[in-house]
This record gives sequence, structure tokens and C-alpha cells, in this order.
Amino acid sequence: MSNMDNKIVTLPEIATIEEIKEEIQDVKTFYIKFDNPEVQKNFKWKSGQIVMLTIFGAGEAAFSLPGAPENDRFHLSIKRVGKVTSALFELEPGDKVGIRGPFGNGFPFAEFKGKNLIYVAGGIGLIPLRSSIVHALQHREDFGRIIVLLGARTPNDLMYQNNIEEWLKIPGFECYVTVDQATADWKGETGFVHTLLDKANVPVDNTMAFVCGPPIMFNSVIGELMKRGLREDNILSTLERHMKCGIGKCQHCAIGRTLVCTDGPVYTYKQIKTLGEEI
Amino acid sequence: MYLIEKNNVMKLAEELAKSYDLYGPVIDNETKQVFFNKVESASEISLTAEIPALPPKTVVFPQIERITQYKYDKVGKKAEIAMTYDDRSKAIFGIRPCDLTGIIVLDRFFLGQEFVDDVYKEHRKRMFIVSNTCVVPFKQCFCVCTDSGPAADEGYDLNLTEIGDMYLVETGSEKGKAFAEKMGLKPAGDEYIALKKKVIDKSISLFEKVATDNKAWISRIMNRVTTGFIKDEVWKHIGNQCFECGACSFVCPTCSCFNIEDHNRFDGSTDRLREWDSCSFEGYTKMAGDHNPRHPVEDRRNKRFFCKLSYSQSKKYLRPGCVGCGRCQWVCPGDIGLPNVVTYIRREITE
Amino acid sequence: MDYKSGVCNFCGTGCGNYLKITDGRITGVYSSRNHPVSKGRLCVRGWHLHEWLMTDQRIDAPMIRVDGSLKKVSYEEAVNFMMDRMSVYKGKENKEIGFLASPRSSNENNYLFMKLARGVFKTNNITLDSESGHKASLNVLSEGTGFAGMTGSLEDIAKTDFILIVGSDLTKMNPIIGSEIHKAQMSGTKVVTICSRSSQIAKLSNVHLQIKPGSKKVILGALAKAAISSGAADSDYISKFTEGVETFKNSVNSLEPADIEALTGVQYSVISEIAEELSKSSSAMAFWSTGIAGLDQDTVSYIYDLFLVAGKIGKEFCGVNPIAGIANLQGGYDMGAAPDILTGFQKINSDAASKFEKAWNTTLNKEAGRDIYDLLADKNSGLKALVVADHDEGIVRYEKEIEALDFVVYFGAYDNPFIKHADVVFPVAALVEDNGTYTNTERRVQLSQKRIEPFENAMPGWKLFPMIAAKASQNWNYGSAEDVFKEITSLTPEYAGLTYAKLIDSMGIQWPCNDKNPAGCRRLDAEKAGRKFKFAPVSGNYKTPSATAEYPFLLIRGQGEHFWHQNNIMKKSYIPKREYNATLLVFPEGYVEICKEDAKALQVREHWGVKIVSGSGAMKVSVKISDDVKPGTAYVPYFIREMITEFLLEHKSDIGRGEDAIIPVRIERV
Repeated sequence: MSNMDNKIVTLPEIATIEEIKEEIQDVKTFYIKFDNPEVQKNFKWKSGQIVMLTIFGAGEAAFSLPGAPENDRFHLSIKRVGKVTSALFELEPGDKVGIRGPFGNGFPFAEFKGKNLIYVAGGIGLIPLRSSIVHALQHREDFGRIIVLLGARTPNDLMYQNNIEEWLKIPGFECYVTVDQATADWKGETGFVHTLLDKANVPVDNTMAFVCGPPIMFNSVIGELMKRGLREDNILSTLERHMKCGIGKCQHCAIGRTLVCTDGPVYTYKQIKTLGEEI
Repeated sequence: MYLIEKNNVMKLAEELAKSYDLYGPVIDNETKQVFFNKVESASEISLTAEIPALPPKTVVFPQIERITQYKYDKVGKKAEIAMTYDDRSKAIFGIRPCDLTGIIVLDRFFLGQEFVDDVYKEHRKRMFIVSNTCVVPFKQCFCVCTDSGPAADEGYDLNLTEIGDMYLVETGSEKGKAFAEKMGLKPAGDEYIALKKKVIDKSISLFEKVATDNKAWISRIMNRVTTGFIKDEVWKHIGNQCFECGACSFVCPTCSCFNIEDHNRFDGSTDRLREWDSCSFEGYTKMAGDHNPRHPVEDRRNKRFFCKLSYSQSKKYLRPGCVGCGRCQWVCPGDIGLPNVVTYIRREITE
Repeated sequence: MDYKSGVCNFCGTGCGNYLKITDGRITGVYSSRNHPVSKGRLCVRGWHLHEWLMTDQRIDAPMIRVDGSLKKVSYEEAVNFMMDRMSVYKGKENKEIGFLASPRSSNENNYLFMKLARGVFKTNNITLDSESGHKASLNVLSEGTGFAGMTGSLEDIAKTDFILIVGSDLTKMNPIIGSEIHKAQMSGTKVVTICSRSSQIAKLSNVHLQIKPGSKKVILGALAKAAISSGAADSDYISKFTEGVETFKNSVNSLEPADIEALTGVQYSVISEIAEELSKSSSAMAFWSTGIAGLDQDTVSYIYDLFLVAGKIGKEFCGVNPIAGIANLQGGYDMGAAPDILTGFQKINSDAASKFEKAWNTTLNKEAGRDIYDLLADKNSGLKALVVADHDEGIVRYEKEIEALDFVVYFGAYDNPFIKHADVVFPVAALVEDNGTYTNTERRVQLSQKRIEPFENAMPGWKLFPMIAAKASQNWNYGSAEDVFKEITSLTPEYAGLTYAKLIDSMGIQWPCNDKNPAGCRRLDAEKAGRKFKFAPVSGNYKTPSATAEYPFLLIRGQGEHFWHQNNIMKKSYIPKREYNATLLVFPEGYVEICKEDAKALQVREHWGVKIVSGSGAMKVSVKISDDVKPGTAYVPYFIREMITEFLLEHKSDIGRGEDAIIPVRIERV
């Protein structure tokens, strides 16, 4: 059933996995197409939103949408962590899944026009930011500098390496990468991701920063950004929470006085600080 | 306003049973416990039974219910999926004012936010509600503190108040009015406004001291809970007594948190079930992959009381989340039913 | 009415509940306000009983193993296969055949299972799964008072003046009993807990004696010594109602205050004060958990003797109360599911046996059998065939030994890891698919009525077991579970006055129930016991495990609430399973709890990996820093299957000793 701005709210729509791509260890990207052409045509999302994915026989869970809203194929990049994702990893092209959504607020891109955009991602933290990066690059002229700073545990844990190479061809796109532990053939930087801030000589004025990654990385990056003078309400992140319904009813994703599924998943750091919980 | 003789009042239920599934307070023969349950015949319902152990929220939000059913043929790559909502028309007869307030809160939460909850809506949309004024309070009742009793002032189609050997029948909707007219009820004179008030005043005077004592405190405590000015030691004292059973949430007429599980059936199909959940459980917020944002039990406790007694949550409900039924008090293995929590916080304030 | 009254089937508290039945299926559970034990409460397990009962992870048909894999067959084929294969093994001399009974089965099913072992296969090798601690407790009580059960009553907790809790966390193991104690404490009862870890019940007590690990006997002996030497002991009671106090006095007198303080870490003056309060209170109760985290017989004897010294057995609102961890653990022993007893604790080698021979129309082997776990542990025991009912625990500790057996028969309602080792599998009707009685920890016999039809081809025990007996040319003729119960009451003095009709009309009756006490007995009564209470023999051995320079930590282990008896049952629920998984998510390798100071000294932080090394092995776990343990103490959970490593299994003999199984270890940073 589709209602409310073409959102699939209660009953999952059946879709087919068309293609599966190995990304890094325990992370795969699944390209998905709705079986109903009408639904496929109307399925639109904003950067930063999420969908609920049903794996038949295993259950349902929330995942962020890494595709750009304009012209990307609908896909999900997913790490194997629990029961639902393990069952998903057993599937092959042609298998059916169920989709509900999209849900959540997404990034308010209208407010970013003319600004510099800094993306800082640790490991698979790049997945929820990817949509926004591609979107920004497709509207390159609307923004100032576009900088992507990536950190990963090892070179083998870097998400979307092919994409990054593509993006680097776009004039004015800046990308810096570092790893915690280098491998023998690694020629790039080593060290924590916040060390890239100086290297990139990140701007502070008229700038929005998107930060996503594990809690330790998140806190140190935010600290560094604020030290340089970035304001709390110019730092954005998307939060992940255990989610069951996606429509603000089950309350599993309650954080502070908000619900991640309807009030989030995109929050400013200023909001996050007032939520009164760990990230 | 209409009147009906006491010994005829069940005729209303009998008439409703013709077009609705009928629910009401039923006393279990063997154990004398009161349930709010579906009945085969109106005669099973007792209007004088004490407040049911089970909140009538089970009618609109069952403990466990199938919301979707699917079957996936892995070999043939064929998926079938269907909604399995309960769309039967239901009449609830003899609901107490606190529990009716609970349903009003659930309505505002499930139907009144950004999204409408389809499952809830199906239960609710063809419902006929007959409420029953509490002419005597029951033990542990404190609805006088939470503005939800002993008489209902909204949300019903018909409201019954026992006055002498008559029931005063008030109508709260066009549907209710039409039903009263159809039943040919005798109109009640204006003197019944005063008579009803007398009955309610009498009922209020019978509440236990702790209920009336706490009356003014509820709003002060809501203020404290909202602003966070409650000492950690108080939450710790409360947290130490939490046995993490979830009962307070299950019996609460306004608790609406749920879990969803896919239940694989023996025949190869799967039922998607939604079931009552509680924020007091450690696993409630736990995410796959080693991360729980909400750790100690006192943290989780305070979450629940925040939900019942804070302004920010009240904005969703347009009233406090607590309706004063007192059920959490008697199911709690610790001593932290809501009235006790109010007492603990009160003690902190006065000390 | 959709709600049908029933009895919770998780722990031994025996809470009352209602199951919601819609269209023949279970769709909910609710608490029972009028139930004398639970009074409207349930714990996290009880509130999710319906999730377990509605599972489709069931055994749906009899199966036999052919060429290595299980094949569904008819009952007749399965019975023939079983009896054919079993005919080569000798039950006599308690040799080749063993029976592992279930503390969750009804009394009727356990009785028939026991009858099958003894009457058909002539073996007395029968043990209740998961358990030894409760039997040890019943041995002490039966020997001392003639009463093989809790001498007090749960309803009296609210009325007693003084409560002594020894060991494990009742708020987690038997939450509603923990709740009752907490509520008594709130209204003035003095609660003292002896435990090495600051458990929730310890936090809710007036006094927590956080003794050094392994020193329970010392502190119990010290309490008795203090009561005797201060004159607080109830000498009138001792002389009127007891015998054998002198021997006990001698064994506690050797304890010197200085040694007591050194061994327990508790000041003698504190011990004296508590001993005096216990003795002078008008009534007092002792509680301890039995089972895998329970106490050994010697420690139980100390508790019992201490309460005799204080004059607190067989009086109003008093009791020495072993708390059963599983629903029908007490009932299992009442039904004689142990090597040396028939129903009602009647000894197999006594005259009682001939009563059974007559009733069963067969001859019995009168030599006590051996414990199944002993047989499995003993490589030379000669055990070849094992018949198992509805199993939880032993598979974890003895999987290799069970795999090595010639022949295994499994009876159960649910899918279970044991099935992969079984040669024959029989589906049995589950709770509420058949009538059955269950006896809780306070001897309350309750009837759980049939509310739904058995799953697929599952069969009630009263139909299934006679099919097997019939193959051995024995004619057991029952038309219902009630018929079995009638046979039980005719052979068991404590149950003599019980009938299904009486049980339906009540919320359970506490045995002994007979002509003299038609409504049962709330407690043991010293005035009416017709005998003196004997002091239990104690070892007088106060040796405690000590840390050394090489192994500076004492490792203790414990149970949890959602984590329950290896979780074969919990894993079939949703919310309790999620709670169980929550711990695993944070500590996938398991954890060891140590205090802040020790963590600092070891230079480790929360979640860091450490290696625990003992004299016989090592395991890797994560650190969990907690105020609940003292310096020098390390605590590991024993309740999560995934966390029970080879390391713990290597310490089988320690684990067998129950809660006082202390392993000296060192902790190394990884």
C-alpha cells in the first residue's frame, strides 16, 4: 500500500535483487528493483533518508540510502552484523525482498546553497553520506569547496573506492584518505581521520560539515572542527538506531525527546548535544 | 441525557451485540479476576466489576497480533505478501474513565502524528464506546490526580452513570445519540446534572488519602521530570528496585511501545507479529553490532517516567501520559509503581 | 472468555497466570492477581511464556535414525525400533541403561518416566537434568526432619521478622520470590545476604556480608558459634525439639574469631550481632538457590543446623527454604526421579519398594542407582544407552560423552540440540496441551489444565509411555493424566489427599495433604512432627580457596534472568531472547567482571580482551568493570551457552560443586 507522498508505510512492496557487488569485507551492495513498475517509477528519496528492508523469513531492519536522489539506481550497501543481515548475505540475484519507505528527514540541501561542504567519514560511515556527496557533485555549481575526508582501519576497509576515483575526475572535488594501519602497498596517509583536516586546510566560514563514523572518531573529529571555529549547528550527522516501524510508533529509536525515524536520522551536532544520550 | 432502569441497562449491550463484536468487563468464574474481554452474550458483562486487571487497550492494541503474512518460495523466487488486519466492528461496553482516557491517548499517538498507524486505525475506526462512571473508586486508583476520572468527559458514544435505581445515559457523539434514540430511551430532566455531580463528588470523597494527597504534586513533579531537576540518587533508588520484567508497560493503558518479529510457521509461511514491548528492557535500544546507547537500568526507568510525566511527551498526548489506574503499582515486583515514584520524588523535594 | 488460568513453567516459584487462547492458539499471557504466590506479578520470563508456547520449533512426528539421519515414522515403528535396540542392554545392576528426567515435565510424566526406568528397564540410574543442588538440600531436610521440601511457605515471607539469603541472586533466579523478600524488607523485615558479589538482592538487603569467595561455610559456622557462645541460641527449643547439637557445637567451636575474619573478610563483631538478631527474632527464614548455581550438601547442612540453633525450624513464619530453579524440580524429586528414591522420598532399598512392586505388578531392582552425570563423567561406567526427557543442561557439559553412547532416546515437545545425538525421537504434548500437575518450591501442587490440542502428532505421556511398556508385556492402563495422578496419590503418602477436583477448586495445595490435613500444610510444625529434628552432620572443614602469587584472583560464576538454563527454551521466545542476545552483542566472547582497582592495576579498560589462566587451562574474554565485585574477585557468567568455553568445562568437578566452585586464576592483558 502506498500512501503519503508515495511512501510505502505498512505493507512492504516486493522487490528483486538485481545485482550484488562485494565492497569490502562483510559489506556488500545490493541493487534492487521493485516488481511493480508503478512503484518503481514513483519511488523517490532524499539524501540522508532510510528504508526498511524485509528479508523473508528473517525479519526487517533499517538501512540508509547511499544512492543519489537524481539518477542513481536504487541500491543499499550493507554490513553483515546480525540475524537479518546474515540472511541477506545468503541471497543471490533474483531473490525477492520487501521494502518500505523512504523514511526520515534527509539533509536540508536547500539551506546549503553557496556553502562549502566538508564530508568526514570513518569506515562504513561513508554509506549514509554517499548520497549527499553524489548529489552535491551533480550540482557542483551550487556549492563552494566540496571536500571528502575518509578514514578506515586498513586500506582494505575503504568503502566505494571505485566511486572515489570517479569523483576525483570532477573539477574542484577534493578527497583525502588515511588509514589506521597501512598495508605493504599503501602509499597514502596513515593516522586518524581528524589529522586530515589540516592537510585539506578546511574552510570554516560559510561551511557545513557532515560527520559519520564510529563514536570515538565522531567525537574527535567534532572536537577538531569546533576548535577551528565551526559552529555546532553547521555540523550534521545521521544517527543509527534500532528501528522496528519507521513511522514513529514503535519508539525503539527514541533518542532524547526525538525519534530517529521521523525527526532524524539527520541531526545537527547542536541537537545531538541536547539529546542527552550517547551517540 | 437519557435514563434507563438499572435492570434494563444490559439491553443496550444486547442491541450493540447485534452489529458489533461486544467487549466488556468479565469476571473469571474460577479465580474471580476481572478481564476486559470479548463476550458471546451481553449477560457475561458485569458493570459493577472492579477495574479490570487487563487494560482494555488490548482491544485496540493486542498483546501480540499478526499484522502481515507472507510466504517466500526461495526456489521459484516467488513472494506473496498480504496485510491481515483485524477489521471487525467492535463495541466496548462499560469501560472505566481512566481506561477510556488511555484510548484517547493512544488515538492521539497512533492517529494524530505525522504518520497514521494503519493497524491501530483498523481496530478503532468502527468502534462504539460505552463508558461507565466510577461511583466508587477502587483500591490504588488515583485518577483524581491525573484528570481522568472518576467520570469521563469525552471520547465516548454513550456514558453511563449509576444514579439510584437508574442509569443516566449521556451521549457523546452523533452515533451515540442515534443509538439512544433508536433504543427509545426516556429523556432525563436537567435535575440529573446536579444528581450526577453529587454522585461524582461522593466518589471523589471516597478516594484513599495518598491519591488526594498527590493531586497537587503531579504537576510539580511533571515540572521536575521535564527540567531534569531530580537527583541521581533518586533514580538510582528507583533503578535498584526495577526487576526489568516489563509489567508496568504491559498493564499501562497508554504504553504503546511495540516490537515486531517475523514468526516462521510450520507450514513455511511467516507471520509478522507486533507485540507489546517495554523501554525498561536492556535489549530495547540495542543495535546489531555492539552498541547500546542507553545503559544503566536507572536510565531506562527514568525514560518511562519521562514518558508518563513530562511536558514534552504530554504535547503528543495533549495530557499527562499517566491516567491514574494504579495497575503498575500492583504488578511491580519492586516498589516503583508510578504513585510510589511520585512519592519518592516528592520526598526528595520536601527534604 | 479467552483467558484461562494456569501455572508458569519457567522457575520453581510457580506463579499463577492466564494464557489467552484465541481460535485454539495461544495469543497472550497475563498475571494472576489472586494467586497466593505471585499476587499479580510475573517476571520477564513469565510475561513472555506465550512466545515460547506459540513457537513452531516443535517435534512434529516420531523419528528414528536410519543411515545417520532421522526419518519420520509411525509411533509403532518408533516404539518397535526402540525396544528392539534397547533389548541388548542390561538395566539390572544399574549398568548399561540410564534415564535423564526433566525438571520441567509434569508430575504425571515424570512418574511414568520413572516407572519406565524402574518397572520396565529395571534400572535405578535416573537423574533429574540440570540438578543436584536441590537433591542435596532435600537430603538434609529429609534426614533431619522427615520433610523432603521447603519447611516454610512463600506466603509467610511477608510475615517473618528476619531473612537470611545465602548465595545466588534470587531477584534474577526466582524474581517473584526476590520481590516478596524485597517487599518484606520495605515493611520492616530485616534481610541479610551472604554473597561474594553485590547482586541486586544484596543491594536490596539491610546487610550485605560480601564474604571472600568460598567462605560460606565459615561464616555460617561462625554465626552458629556466635549464637551459641553469646547465649542467644534458643536452648529451650534445642532441648525440646532437636537432637545431636553437641557434635555440631564441637565442629563450630574450633573456629576462632581471628581466623573467621581472615577467611571471610567480615568482622566477628558484625557476625555476632547478626547471630543475635537471628536468634532473638520472633521468626526467621533462610533462602538459598539450588541447582547448578546452588550449594553443596555440606553448606546446606550448616544453614540447617544454624537455624536449629536459632530455634527457627517448624515454627510459625519460619523456614529453611531451598529455592528450586526450574518449574517442577521439587515435583521431579517428589516423583522419585533420583537414583535412590521412589515417590515421596521413599527409599528404593526400603519396604516401600514392595508396595510399588505390587501396584506395578512387577519386580524392582532395589539397589540404588548412580547419578547420570557421574556415569557420563566416569569413562569406565559401562553406560551404553540413555533415555532423555525434555532436556536443557547436560548437553553442554557432556556433549562428547553423550555422542559416544551407543543409543539415545529422546522425548520432548521442542526442537533441542540433543536431537542431533538421538537415535529415536518421540514428540510429547507440551504444557497446556495436556493436563498435568506441577509442584513448586514451597510444595504447592498445582494443576495446569489442557487448553489446546497437541501440536501435529505429539502425544500426551499417559498414552505414549504405556505403548512402550506394552512392548515389554506390561499393561499400563490409563485413560487420562488424572488416572496417572490417582496412581501417584495411592503410592505417595504426602500426596494421598490430593485430587484433580481439589486442585481445580484451589490455586494449588501444599503437601503433605492427607486425611489429617485435607487442605495441605503451609509449613512443617515441630509440635506435630512426632519426632525430634536431627542436627545434620557437618564436615568441620573450613578450608577456603586462597589466591596465590601465581593465581591472585578467585573466579566465581553465576546465573542470570533471561539467561536461563542454557536457553534452549529462551531461544524460542522473542523478547527474552533479544535480552539474552543484548549481552552477547556487547560481549560476544563473554566477559569477566572485575573491580575498578583491579582493572587499573592490570592496565585494562572496559571491553579490552584478557586471558584468564588457571592451573588447568585458559580462556579469552572481555573485561567488564563493575562495583559489584571486590578486589581479588573475578566473576564470569555461566548462563550463556556461547560463553561456556572449554576452559570452564575442564573444571567439571568444580562446577559440580555448585556455587562454591571457586577457581584460582590470574588475568593477563592481551
